[in-house]
Amino acid sequence: MRYDSITEAIGNTPLVRIDPAVHGLRHIDLYAKLEMLNPFGSVKDRAAWNMAGPGLASAAERGATVVELSSGNTAKALALLAGMHGLKFKSVTNRMRVPEIKDLLLLLGAEIEELPGQSECLDPTDTDDPLTRFHQALAGRDNAYLHTDQYFNPRNTEAHAAGTGPEIVKDLDGRAPDWFIACVGTAGSSTGVARALREQDPEVGVVGLVAHKSDFIPGIRTIDEVHQVGLFDPATYDTIESVTADEAIDGMLTLIRRCGLLAGPTGGAAYHGAVRHLRTVDTELAEAGVTERRTAVFIVCDRAESYLSYVRQRRPELLGRPPRKNSAAALSEAEVRAEATVIDTAEARRWIEDGQTRPLVVDLRGPHAYAALHIDGSVNIADEIFDELLHGGLPFSKRQPVLLACPIGEKSARYAALLTRMGHPDVRSLSGGIVAWRDAGAPLVRD
Amino acid sequence: MRAPLYLQPRLEPPLGSLLEDAPFLHSLVDSLGSPLNVLLPDRIVENAAGFRGIYHKHHLAGRVYFAHKANQASSPVRRLTATDPGTVGIDVASLRELRHALECGFTPDRIMATGPKDPEFLWLAARTGTCVNIDSHAELDQLAGLIRTYDLPRADILLRLSEFEASASATSGTKVLFRRSRFGSPVREVDALLDAVERHHGAVRLTGVAYHLDTTGVVEKAVALESCVAVMDECRARGMDPRVIDIGGGFGVGYVADAGQWERYTTELTEAVLGARPALTWRGHGYGLRNEGGTLRGAPALYPAHRPTAGPGYLDELLSRPGPSSGRPLATLLLEHLYDLVCEPGRALVDQCGVSLARVLDVRRTGQDSDDLLVRLGMNAGDVSLEEHGVLVDPVLLPRPGPQDDADEGPVGVYLTGNLCLEADLITRRKVFLPRLPRAGDLLAFANTAGYAMDFHAHHAQRQPVARTVAVTGREGSWRWCLDEEYWPITRVGGQVS
Repeated sequence: MRYDSITEAIGNTPLVRIDPAVHGLRHIDLYAKLEMLNPFGSVKDRAAWNMAGPGLASAAERGATVVELSSGNTAKALALLAGMHGLKFKSVTNRMRVPEIKDLLLLLGAEIEELPGQSECLDPTDTDDPLTRFHQALAGRDNAYLHTDQYFNPRNTEAHAAGTGPEIVKDLDGRAPDWFIACVGTAGSSTGVARALREQDPEVGVVGLVAHKSDFIPGIRTIDEVHQVGLFDPATYDTIESVTADEAIDGMLTLIRRCGLLAGPTGGAAYHGAVRHLRTVDTELAEAGVTERRTAVFIVCDRAESYLSYVRQRRPELLGRPPRKNSAAALSEAEVRAEATVIDTAEARRWIEDGQTRPLVVDLRGPHAYAALHIDGSVNIADEIFDELLHGGLPFSKRQPVLLACPIGEKSARYAALLTRMGHPDVRSLSGGIVAWRDAGAPLVRD
Repeated sequence: MRAPLYLQPRLEPPLGSLLEDAPFLHSLVDSLGSPLNVLLPDRIVENAAGFRGIYHKHHLAGRVYFAHKANQASSPVRRLTATDPGTVGIDVASLRELRHALECGFTPDRIMATGPKDPEFLWLAARTGTCVNIDSHAELDQLAGLIRTYDLPRADILLRLSEFEASASATSGTKVLFRRSRFGSPVREVDALLDAVERHHGAVRLTGVAYHLDTTGVVEKAVALESCVAVMDECRARGMDPRVIDIGGGFGVGYVADAGQWERYTTELTEAVLGARPALTWRGHGYGLRNEGGTLRGAPALYPAHRPTAGPGYLDELLSRPGPSSGRPLATLLLEHLYDLVCEPGRALVDQCGVSLARVLDVRRTGQDSDDLLVRLGMNAGDVSLEEHGVLVDPVLLPRPGPQDDADEGPVGVYLTGNLCLEADLITRRKVFLPRLPRAGDLLAFANTAGYAMDFHAHHAQRQPVARTVAVTGREGSWRWCLDEEYWPITRVGGQVS
C-alpha cells in the first residue's frame, strides 16, 4: 500500500467476525465493522473528509478557520485535516467531558471553546440558546469560517452511503446483513449505512442505539438530544433502544479482552446493544426451527485509549494499582494525632527566632498563595509536589529540623507524622497553620 | 388517557408533614382566605446550617448571607436574626429591604447592600455601617461623595466584578465562554477601580471582591472565583487588606423529587413539540422548544426542576473543583490565600420553607371542540409565579375534610386557571396531572414556593386579594401559626415569650 496522502487511507476498514463462543448467538453471525482503524482513529474520518474536503482549498485561500460543534472524533479528524491544509480549527461544545480527548485536540492544534451553562434565574423573554447565537455568528458576512455543520450536512450521511455501507455489502459477498446496529451521534453513519444496505435489501433491520437519558456515553446522544440533529429521521430505524454507561463499558471489555478489538465505549455500547437485541431474535429463530444462518453488523466507532479517565471515573477497579510507598493518605486520623509533633504560633516563633538550630520552615500551600503572603525565610513546596518527593524518601537531612506549615495545620500534621515515621527526628507541624499565625498577629511578608 | 405524567414535588420535613395535615391547612384558608402563603421559618435555620456545613468541611470562615429578595416576608428574616451573628447575615437589594432587615433586628455589621442602588439606599447603608457591594465605578464615586458630603463613617465595601472571559485554562486547555450579566464591573477595568478605591481612601475600606453569575454552570463560576483570588492578591500588593470573596448565589433548588418523572416528562414534552404525541401544554406552548421541519430547535426555557446536586451540594461541588489555572481545589485556594468565603443563596436558603395554598373554585370542560378540563383556583399566576420562573412541579391535592362521594376517581390531566378575567391567566401553561379530579372546596398546595415563586410577582390587578402570609412552627400535629407580621423568634401564640 503506497499513498500520496493520509486521506487516501480513509475507509476500506475490515469487517471482523465475532467468535460465537463470545456472543452466544446460535443462528446469527455477528460482524464488527472496524471504523476505529481509520487513520485518524474513528468512523468520523469519513464524514470529516467528505464534508471539509471540497471547501479546504478555498478556505485556505481566504485564511478561514474550520469550525464544528464537536466534542471528540469529528473534531479530531477535522483538526488534522485543517492542519494538513495550513488552517486553524476551532471546536465549540459543552459536551467535552473526557480529558484525554481535550488534551489530544489541543495537541493537534485545536482551539476549544466551552459554551456557558444554563441561566439560574429564568428570563422568559430570552429563548435563544447559546447554540442559536453560535449559528448566527457563523452566518456573518465576513465568511471567516468553514463550518462543516455535521448535524445538518448531508455530506456526512453521503460518506457512509457511498463508503461504509457498500463496503459491508462487498465483504458479505454482495449481500446486505439481516440486521445493522449502530449508535446514534450525528446520525450520519447509521443513516448513510442503512440507506446503502436497504438499496441492496429493503428488509434489513436497523437498530439505533442511544444513551440512557441520565447517562453519558461519549459520541452517543440521548433520546432527547437526537431530535436536535438535522440528519436524524426516526423512520430510518426499526427500533431505537437505549444503553447505559455501565453496559457500554461491559461491551467494551468483552471486545477488548475476548475479541482482541481495542474498542472504545461507543463500540462497546454497539456490541452490547446488538447482542441484547439479537438474543431475542435468536431465540425466536430457534423456536421457529430455522436452520439457515443470519448475519448482523455493528460499528466499532473508535478506540479505547482516549477513554481511560472515563473508565477510571466509573469503574476504577478495572484500572487497579498497587498502593504507593510513604503515602500520607494511608495514615489514619488517630495515627496522625499520635505521631505528629504539633506546636502553636508562639512556640514556633520562639523556635525560629531563638532556637539553637533554626528550623527549615516549609510552606505547603500553592505557589500563588505563598507569593502573596508567607512566613519570612520559609521555602515553598506545594503539598502535591511534597507528596511526590516523599515517595522517594526523606527530602532533607535528618540533622535539619523542619517546621511544616499549611493553611490550617491539618495537612502539615499529616506530613509531620509521615516524616516522623520515615525516621526524621525533629519535624513539627504549625498548629492552626498560616491562618492561626495571621490571627495571632505574627508577621507575614511578601518578597 | 396515557399514563399520567406526574412531577411530584420534593418534600422534606417539616413541609412534608405539614401537607399531611389537611384539616389544619383548610382551617387556615377558611379563616384567612385564598390564596394563602404559609412559611416555615425554622427550616431556614437548618438550610443555613447546611451551607455552613460545607464551609466547615472545607475549613473556610465567612458568612452565609440570605438574599432577601427571594421572599418579602418578615418571619424568615426575623428567624435569621436569632442565629449566630458570625455565620449568617442578610443581603438587601433596595432601601426598603435594608429598612426591613434593620427593623427585624439585623445589626448593620451583618447586612450587605447589593444590586443597583439609589442615593437614599447608599446613604442609609453608609449611615448605619452596612457593607456596600459596589456594582459600578460610578456607584463607588457616588458613595464616597455622600460619605464626604454628609460626614458619614468610613464604609466597608466589596467590589462586584463581572465579565470574567477566560483565556485558555491551564488545567483543561479550553476556553470557557460566559453568559453575560448586566451587573458588576468588568474585571478588565479592575485597575481603574482600585485606583478609585485608593483615591477614596478616607471614605471607603475595601474588604473584598464579589461576583454573581447568572448560570448553573460550575465551570464559569470556577473561572470567576479564581480570577477573584488573583484580584485580591493584587489588592494586597497595593497595601490593602481585603478578607472576603463573595461568590453570590445561584446554587439552585431541586423541585421535583424523582429523576425518572422529570426525564420522562421532558422527553414527552419534546415529542409533543415535534407533534409525535398530543400536546402537554395550553395551546401547544413549547417552553422555548420549536419544531423546524421535524428537527427540534431552541432550548427548553425551564428551570432544571430535578437536580442531582443543588444548594449546599452545589457549593461543595464548586469548592471541590480544581481552579482552572492553578489546578488546586478552589476551597484550598481560598484557604491558602487566607480569604474568607461569602455566599448569598436566596432561593436555596428558603428551600422547603413555604407553601402557597389555593382553593378550588370551579371545575369544568372547555368548549365543544375540546375535552380539556379547567380547574379554576382562588389565586392567579402572579400569586405563585411558577410560569415566570419556568418551574414545573405538581400541586398537592388536599381534599376538603368530610364525607366524599366516590365519583371521578382516578388520575386526570387538567389546566389550572386563575381568578383574573384574562385569557393568559393560567397558573401554569402545563397540563397538570392529579391523582383525581379536584372538587370545589378542595385545596391545591404548591409546595416549596418560598423562593421567588411565592410573592415575587404578586399584584393587586382586578382588586383580587393578594395572599396573606402566615408563619407556622411546631411539628407533627401541634402546629402553631401566626400572621407573618406578628412572628418573632421569641414569641408563642398569645404574646407569651417562649
